[in-house]
Amino acid sequence: MLTFTEELLLLLGDEEGLFLPVKEHAFECALAGAILMDLAFAFRIDTDLQALVITDPTPTGNPMLDRVLEKISARTDVTDTPAWIRVLATEDAALIREQALDSLIDRRFLKRQHNRFLGVFRSVCYPTLDEAPLQAVKSRIEDVVSDEIPDPRDVALISLVDACQILPDLFPEWEAKQTASRLELLRKMDLIGRELTGAISEIQDQIIRAARAQAACFKRSLLTLALTASVAIIVTLLVPSIGVPDRYGLSLPAQLWFDGSWKQFSGYLLLVLSLVGLAIAIALKKQLLVWVSGSHRWRLSHLVLGIACVFTLFMHTGFRLGSNLNAALMGTYLTVLLSGALVGVVVGGAPRFKQISLNRIFAARRVLIRVHALALCPLPALLIVHILTAYLY
Amino acid sequence: MFRRLMQAVLGVTLLGAAYVAVTMTVAGDRRMLLSGQTTYAHHQLEMACETCHGRSIFASAMTAEKSLNKNCRKCHEDELKAAKNSHSRKRFRNPRMAEYWNKLDARLCTTCHVEHHPEITRASAVTVAMDFCVACHSQGEQDIRTTRASHAGLGFETCATAGCHNFHDNRALFEDFLLGHAARPEPVRPAVHVLAARYLARPGPTDKALERGDAIAPPAALASPDVLGHWAGSGHAQAGVNCTACHAADLAEDAPKAQVLTRWIDVPPMGVCMACHKPQAKTFVMGRHGMRQHPGIAKPRDAQQGLARLGLSRVMPGWMSHWLSDPAVPTWMTVGKARLPMHADADPTMAVDCGSCHGEHNLDTVRAAVEACASCHDDPHTRSYFDSPHHTFWRLEQAGKAPPGSGVSCASCHMPKLEHHRQVRTTHNQNDNLRPNEKMIRTVCLDCHSLGFSLNALADAGLIRKNFAVRPQIHVPSIDWAVARSLSNPDAAEN
Repeated sequence: MLTFTEELLLLLGDEEGLFLPVKEHAFECALAGAILMDLAFAFRIDTDLQALVITDPTPTGNPMLDRVLEKISARTDVTDTPAWIRVLATEDAALIREQALDSLIDRRFLKRQHNRFLGVFRSVCYPTLDEAPLQAVKSRIEDVVSDEIPDPRDVALISLVDACQILPDLFPEWEAKQTASRLELLRKMDLIGRELTGAISEIQDQIIRAARAQAACFKRSLLTLALTASVAIIVTLLVPSIGVPDRYGLSLPAQLWFDGSWKQFSGYLLLVLSLVGLAIAIALKKQLLVWVSGSHRWRLSHLVLGIACVFTLFMHTGFRLGSNLNAALMGTYLTVLLSGALVGVVVGGAPRFKQISLNRIFAARRVLIRVHALALCPLPALLIVHILTAYLY
Repeated sequence: MFRRLMQAVLGVTLLGAAYVAVTMTVAGDRRMLLSGQTTYAHHQLEMACETCHGRSIFASAMTAEKSLNKNCRKCHEDELKAAKNSHSRKRFRNPRMAEYWNKLDARLCTTCHVEHHPEITRASAVTVAMDFCVACHSQGEQDIRTTRASHAGLGFETCATAGCHNFHDNRALFEDFLLGHAARPEPVRPAVHVLAARYLARPGPTDKALERGDAIAPPAALASPDVLGHWAGSGHAQAGVNCTACHAADLAEDAPKAQVLTRWIDVPPMGVCMACHKPQAKTFVMGRHGMRQHPGIAKPRDAQQGLARLGLSRVMPGWMSHWLSDPAVPTWMTVGKARLPMHADADPTMAVDCGSCHGEHNLDTVRAAVEACASCHDDPHTRSYFDSPHHTFWRLEQAGKAPPGSGVSCASCHMPKLEHHRQVRTTHNQNDNLRPNEKMIRTVCLDCHSLGFSLNALADAGLIRKNFAVRPQIHVPSIDWAVARSLSNPDAAEN
């Protein structure tokens, strides 16, 4: 029989062996709730409105549950369910997750697969080997939500899934309005589930407050960097090319813009910066970096790389826009950079554009991101042609 | 919608990339790959990359540079030899000159002439700063400022721009030449261009001359009085060259008339002219008017061969290899392709061939010497010609009021009469003596002017624009300095 923790992880997996995008704090709280539910259903703990008490300290035989049981026995400073959810979510969520995954892998329901994206970013995914347990869990949830008489285990499971807010992803065909009242009823039937929801919402409030402060700081940085990038790109477009001194001998401008070795250096530097920027964007999109650190830092670094690209482009061209296919490459590259920078301006400047509705801001962001993506399509081909042409003759 | 748009952009990109890859490796128009505008003149053959770059692609930098320089020499070496190249490759290949290789490598044309960089391309397609002499002549025994007192305060940017020195051609600037002509006064007017006078005085054929009734041509051609009249008055008729010599050139002179009519070509190719006028044709293809026929131009790549080399000839349909063919260099330069200012009403599609200057049938060398040039070229120098003393002398000569060879037409300076194996011929390479313009001094200017006047006039850009309508406003001190040096140190005069 699967534990709640294992069932939750099975439900969270997607076809590619990754996890559905769940808010980190909600996921950690759900794991903590799941392990408490496992202990409760193993008759090791009991919960009421005031306290969480150990009723039977005998080990269950499951190392993951026994470790937590031992911890609950050892600590006397934490007494009630919300407090334990918070403690376990903060201190033990990662370990609980790993132990549950190990158990699923040992039982050959999942397999662990190590990937390396672009040879740089390491990632792990867990493709499903056996679909049957997942389908069984899903059908239990379906039955309960569709007015069947619920089993206490199913009620607890529903509370967990609901806490992670993944029901719309698991059952996209369900109408939210129709299921809301049933879910509310089920949630109240289980004490840990109820506490879990409460704890998550309380933590969420704290996180939202912290996140708002962090977001404001992020948006300020984003706006500053994006404006810098936009100005640099517009300058590149409008300022005429910088001439070279009409004096024989070594001069930095002549070396930078007309010497083959320097051109190769700046060109390849630009290529590397562009590739790293692209890799970060793809990794963000594919959620490869979220586990490593919050995405804000990576988003800002994507923008910083964009600025570095503009300055390296200046080193490479000296504001020369080129001709023929080189002009096409320059136009495409500047479009990519400018649309990216403007996305940063729109997102970072959103709190300041109070007279513009959020819908319009989102629409502008969407259009700019699409331009950014469209301009990216021909870029690799143009870049390859540009490099090959340099070595063709 | 967006996904489809993205797929469409990706599809177009892939197709474009495939086409570019094929043009690089097999055949096809590669002008889209040009990294910058090709210099004037070379732009006429920029579709034939192999002419300059050779046929090996993705070769090492050293191989590519060698190939490039070899191809420069293929077309320009004779000209440099004739110019007694002051900085010849041969001289600088000597290991004793190794110390100069890192300063300004005179062994390679590409040290100073790099293509596709219009921004740094100066006159004569020089792509290094014009004070390049500083590289070698500012140190040690080559430091010209210490070895010549007269040069002490001069900037290196003036060496090649003030009418004193050229990198390659110094035939009219060598010190002994300056000294030899220092005392020569300005000739008395009207002066006569000796070779032009000899050319005009040459005896014409007397026994072969043909008349209107001798013309052998289809009835339709004979019915045109203009054509017949032009031919009858032309040098061709005087020399006994009948219509068939051009319009049925592959037939014997005495072929039956019926056969002539079946083999008649209305517009004979230029090869027919070239077959008889070989010396003129040889120089014509060396100038910018005729360089598209230069034998050094690379032939288009064979698409079928390129596909076979990549092992694709079996999978590619035949029509595709035809579609992929390299664009051939057009046979003619046209007015529309010129980068110099041309008359707005000049037909841009007009090809520059023998007939466009000489006329198809009248072969009018007088028209070809002035009006033909001015019918296309429209720049201050050309426009000013008609108000210049040169043109006055030309009119007087044509009117019979001045001796033959005393008039100065466009051709007198730009397509001068030259002596080769005791024969006087008109060079049809109008660019041969154009740049640096001191090249014109020995073959043209000195017939009518002193060396000092010529140097001053050619150094005065404003005067050139006015087509020498007034006296030079610039004085080039070369002769004064050479004379002063020879007086102070008679043994020191050197070249």
